Amino acid sequence: MANGDSLTLSERIESVGESVTGLDREAIDGIGFAVPYLALFVTFLLYPLVRGFWISLHEWNPFNPAQSEFVLFQNYVRMFNDPLFWTALQNTVWFVVLTVPTLVILGLLLALGVNRSLKGRRFLRIIFFSPYLLTVSVSSLVWMEMFSPPNSIINYYLGFVLSNPPQWLNSGLLAMPAIAITSVWWTVGFNFIILLAARQNIPETLYEAARLDGANSWNAFKDVTIPQMRQSLMFVVVVQFIASFQIFGQVYIMTDGGPGQATETIIFYLYRMAFQSQELGYAAALGYFLFFVLVGVSLINFYFLGGDNE
Amino acid sequence: MSNTSLTSGSGGFELSERVRTVMLYVAMYGTALAFIVPYLYMISNAFKTNDEMFANSPNWIPNPVSFEWLNVMLSNSPIVRWTINTLIIAVATTVIILVVDSMIAFSLTHLQWPGRRIVLAIILASFMVPVYVNMVPLYVWVSDLGLINSYLGVILPLTAGPLGVFLFYQFFRDMPEELFEAARLDGFSSLQIYLRIVLPLMRSAVGALALYTFVWSWNRFLWPLLVMQDQIMYTVPVGIVILQPTNTYQPQIQMMGSIFAALPLFILLVILQDKLVNAVAMQAGKA
Repeated sequence: MANGDSLTLSERIESVGESVTGLDREAIDGIGFAVPYLALFVTFLLYPLVRGFWISLHEWNPFNPAQSEFVLFQNYVRMFNDPLFWTALQNTVWFVVLTVPTLVILGLLLALGVNRSLKGRRFLRIIFFSPYLLTVSVSSLVWMEMFSPPNSIINYYLGFVLSNPPQWLNSGLLAMPAIAITSVWWTVGFNFIILLAARQNIPETLYEAARLDGANSWNAFKDVTIPQMRQSLMFVVVVQFIASFQIFGQVYIMTDGGPGQATETIIFYLYRMAFQSQELGYAAALGYFLFFVLVGVSLINFYFLGGDNE
Repeated sequence: MSNTSLTSGSGGFELSERVRTVMLYVAMYGTALAFIVPYLYMISNAFKTNDEMFANSPNWIPNPVSFEWLNVMLSNSPIVRWTINTLIIAVATTVIILVVDSMIAFSLTHLQWPGRRIVLAIILASFMVPVYVNMVPLYVWVSDLGLINSYLGVILPLTAGPLGVFLFYQFFRDMPEELFEAARLDGFSSLQIYLRIVLPLMRSAVGALALYTFVWSWNRFLWPLLVMQDQIMYTVPVGIVILQPTNTYQPQIQMMGSIFAALPLFILLVILQDKLVNAVAMQAGKA
């Protein structure tokens, strides 16, 4: 720092402050720059997270929280005895199974296609990416109209090949696939962009080397493309899994959980419990259950990715 | 189209190059057409009269083109107010996120202070907290604070997420330390370094992130739905769902509302395609 003789007043004050607090100027600045975000982070992310667990241990009274009854793990016990919870979990897993592989494989195919030298690549990129910029209500409303009578454009064209086109959103069997189709159109653009960037990062020399070794395009795909893109593919799978597991808006807008309970999913059930039945304690427990599931998925992912980096 | 594939050197098992190219074009442009259909459906139905809307065979191009529903929407629903609400929320959220996230990222990458590693680890770990899991306690908390039906009640929780911190952290980490040492020797304070060196050098990353955050905040659905309980305070994404000014079934109005919600973002996309694409692509650094 400054020489002894030439200390200015502020530097002198600073050095006194330093000896008092044990922090130098840079540390004070460092904390000062961190505090605004940390204040928001602690107030609106960490604190609710802890409080959510506390709420989940109560029969929470939203109108008079002081009168909430402490019930320990009763809300969690109730969850495992609640048939509707199991239905919601089953439906959520079904939605994950329908969407995650489709979103990843379609995203990969579109990325590999656009990576080829074909005319109009920028146009194709904007088309495949653009639905991702829509809000969930726009994509859901438009597809709801396309699936539903009397204006179902999908059934109008299916009518040329099928004598009796399906009821989609009114069918217990097809409502979830219809929501899955909507979701694929809406969000595949994210995977497409990530995987396109990953493909463009593979050095072309690897492909030249493969070609010199006599590899055909299938070999090149299997031995160069997939291994080189492994990290990005894993990333996309995990992000998609987490996103699909939390499906809410599409169900809220398109089916309201129906027909019957065919599209009742975990977050939608949580929402209904919290904001229609006012059972906030139980809803918080559902949230925590979901939290543990998703943390588990993330940890498994870290474990696998960690093994890859050796 | 000479180098579409890697196969020129390999034997007769492969389809000829010309056939493969044709197949590629058919597949890509066929898929693109399927992707465009919902847009065409939305736009064409928004401008249809009732007669045409409920006709037996669908017309892709409305005849006549009717602006009736635009008028109905503007005069019978608070959509203009909803747009203003959404703009306020999206702009404020974006500004707050850019300022506080870039500040802490600068601090975590280039300033030494005790505890910074732990703070970074906790922020990164919070990636594992799914937004919806916090829904109930956050709602209770925001009610306690008296922020239901207020802009702040929507904005503040949206600014607490770690994504922006993480992205800025990655950019700033790669800036050479010598730059900062030189500036300190010149007597720059940390604030001056942040304002005069970090932000100007990172302009394009900040721009990409600003754009992405704006789109992201504009599109939030569940949180404004919970916090905004008076219709007049709704955002566009929440409002268009209840957009039925008359009691009869009028899908044209919702299609018109959807255009309203999508249009600003599409204009951004057309002007700033590369920036938006980059903002998405850089998220994979998280892996």
